[in-house]
Amino acid sequence: MIEKTQIIINKLGLHARAAAKLSHLANMYNANIYLIYNEDKVNAKSLLGILTLAASVGNEVTLHASGDDEKEAIRAISDLFNRKFDEES
Amino acid sequence: MIKSLIITHGNLGHEMIQVAEKILEQKLDIKAIAFDWQGDGSDMISQLEKFIAANKEHKIVIFTDMFGGSPSNIATRFINKNVEVLSGINLPGLLKFFCCERKGDKFVETIKTVEQGAIEGINIISEYLGDKND
Repeated sequence: MIEKTQIIINKLGLHARAAAKLSHLANMYNANIYLIYNEDKVNAKSLLGILTLAASVGNEVTLHASGDDEKEAIRAISDLFNRKFDEES
Repeated sequence: MIKSLIITHGNLGHEMIQVAEKILEQKLDIKAIAFDWQGDGSDMISQLEKFIAANKEHKIVIFTDMFGGSPSNIATRFINKNVEVLSGINLPGLLKFFCCERKGDKFVETIKTVEQGAIEGINIISEYLGDKND
C-alpha cells in the first residue's frame, strides 16, 4: 500500500474534465486507488465519485493505492496533478 | 456492446452529448433524436425503429429526458429483453454510462448503475455540504 499527498495546483481544481482524466488514468491500473480529501474517501476510478469531493486549487488530497502496480499508478496520477491535468500552459 | 440513444424534447440530447464528449475528450457512440414540436411523433417512431433494426445484435438503452413526456412514452413502446428505457437522464448519468461501457459492464448492471449515478448527481448543495460538515 502506498500513500502520497498531493496539492491541487490547477486553477479549476478537480472539476469535470480533470476528474474524467484522473478516473480514466486510474482505470488503466489494477491497483485499488482512492482519493482522500478531508473525511471523504472516493474511488479514483469513479468520475462521479471524484466530483463529490468538490476539491479546489490549493487543497491537499491524499492518493492511496494498493495492488501489484501501485507504484506506477501513484507515479502516473501524481504526474497528472503536477501537469495541471494538461489544461494550463 | 450496449448501443445507446438519447431522445428528448428539442435539442437537449444533442447538447448533452456534446458536453459529455467535451468532458470525456472522446467521440461518443450515441445517437440523439429530437422530438419535433410540430409533429405527431411518427418521425421519432420511425427513427427508433430504424435504429433498433440496425442494432438488433446488441442490447440497446434509450435515454429520455422526462418520464411521462412524449419521447419517453414513445420509447416505452419499444421495451423488450434487449431494449430498456431510462428516463430523466442527466449529465452525471450520461457520464456514468460511458464509464460503465468503457469497463464492459453487463446490460442490466449498467442501467442500474447509470440510474444510481443520475440520482446521486442531484444534490441540494448546502445540505450536502452540511452533511459533510456535521
